[in-house]
Amino acid sequence: MAGVNDVREEGSTADTASDTSGTSDTAAVRVADLGKRYDSDRQTVQALSGVDFAVDEGEFVCIVGPSGCGKTTLFRTIAGLESPTSGEVRLSGERVDGPGTDRGMVFQEYGLFPWRTVAENVAFGLEQQGLGGEERRARVREMLDLVGLTEFADAYPKELSGGMKQRVGIARALAVDPDILLMDEPFGSVDAQTRDMLHGELLDIWGATGKTVLFVTHDVEEAVTLADRVVVMAANPGQVREVVSVDLDRPRERTDAAFAEHVERIRALIGE
Amino acid sequence: MSEKDGTVGVGGLTAGTDGESGLLGRLLGGGDTEAETGGEGALRRLGLGVLGTAGFLVVWHLAAAAVGGILLPSPVAVAGAFVTELTAPATFTLPVLGVELGATRMLVKLVESLYHYVPGLLVGSVLGVAVGVAMGWSRALDAALTPVTRVLRPIPPLAWIAFAIIWLGVNHSGAAFIVGIGAFWINFYNAYSGVEGVPTDLKEVAASLGVDDDLTMVRKVVLPAASPSILTGIRTSIGQCWMIVVAAELFGAPGIGFQIINAAQNLAMDVSVAYMLVISAVFLVSDGLFRRVERRALEWRA
Repeated sequence: MAGVNDVREEGSTADTASDTSGTSDTAAVRVADLGKRYDSDRQTVQALSGVDFAVDEGEFVCIVGPSGCGKTTLFRTIAGLESPTSGEVRLSGERVDGPGTDRGMVFQEYGLFPWRTVAENVAFGLEQQGLGGEERRARVREMLDLVGLTEFADAYPKELSGGMKQRVGIARALAVDPDILLMDEPFGSVDAQTRDMLHGELLDIWGATGKTVLFVTHDVEEAVTLADRVVVMAANPGQVREVVSVDLDRPRERTDAAFAEHVERIRALIGE
Repeated sequence: MSEKDGTVGVGGLTAGTDGESGLLGRLLGGGDTEAETGGEGALRRLGLGVLGTAGFLVVWHLAAAAVGGILLPSPVAVAGAFVTELTAPATFTLPVLGVELGATRMLVKLVESLYHYVPGLLVGSVLGVAVGVAMGWSRALDAALTPVTRVLRPIPPLAWIAFAIIWLGVNHSGAAFIVGIGAFWINFYNAYSGVEGVPTDLKEVAASLGVDDDLTMVRKVVLPAASPSILTGIRTSIGQCWMIVVAAELFGAPGIGFQIINAAQNLAMDVSVAYMLVISAVFLVSDGLFRRVERRALEWRA
């Protein structure tokens, strides 16, 4: 099973379900022996092979790996935007066979609807749920408050900075109250200072909402800053090299020796 | 830089008109001083525009005086004809209702043209956008109809005139048909490429937010995302369809285009040019109005 080695040892919560030994059928996310092969006339690419791990409810898990390790393919498969060639993804025991409102998606390039204002973007999913006027407006207000964009409710995306756009993306994803927040390099397009700020905000939101978060990144420090556990991937074919637990108190300091140790360890696994 | 450009432009206009360059040179000089003291680029541009127009009219006038009124009517004669046509009383009979209305000759011709321009433009645009969106969205439809559209699209609308005449006659319907064909292809192409260019990201986000049927996806994501391209198509066809109107009327349908050729056949060249200017005026007004609508509708665009 692709060298899964959970190094978490002492006294943290609900560790049993994150074991990959098959008892985790009701885990928030269960990726089981997942494989994805792309066949074209000239060549066959094995993007993912035997990927196997589970995420507990309320857990914050980062997926890191070098480019070409299939982390985006894995993300898209969990999102239901691609179907696996072998294995499966189960969410709370239910098999994924397409996108759904149980997973809120946040993209690197924001994916905001440019013709909708900030409030209208956040309202999009609520409209699909048929939520009526006043209720919808209240929910939108609540979400904008959560991400600190109340005064930009009527602005168009073009008027916002990258960090603000991503806050809208997060608010829009959370508005429909998904079980899981799926984030694909969400802070890859913002400057370092903004990224640090957004990390703090995301952890606050995570604490406040108790959502399960699955966060794809190529930035090892980002993963160690955020995650309860880090799924480290390797390329050719894309596979899980190891799952590393990060048992450090938050907020985490990059200058901390234990922090640096985790970063070193993961970098060594990736081969950086 | 622009000072030099301006000089070259006006110089170009005055080429061949002896004796006028001195005057224009002085006018240009005056314009420059004014613009410099005003310190406004826009004012300077306006001044040069007025100068350029004046230069054009002078050249036109001199050329008309040189070749005679039949070959080229003078701007003064055209202005006179324009006023006459604009004010000469005429009556207009509403086609369906049969009610006779008092108007002026130019107004009647304009309304006659609008009688095939507007329906042709509307029906052609709506069908063009609808088919373009449908083919841009549905792969099956795209595959099935692409060979047909590839063959039909290069055919100029006027090539259909024979069919327009035998199917509908030399009347408003026949001309509207030709206009409609022109509007159809312009809007078809813009809608089609607009829909094809909708970012996959947006469709995936919408799907993850609960959009699970084609109709909702088209209405709430594809159409708004493709709207800049669709609106460009409509604006292009507003202009192109005036070209088609005039061409279609040359075959006998009543309206401004017919009036252009009719006046010319009676050697009233000044009247002919006056009606050419009507086309220009109507285009400028309708294009300007639509640009406003477009700017408002696309206010969200970066």
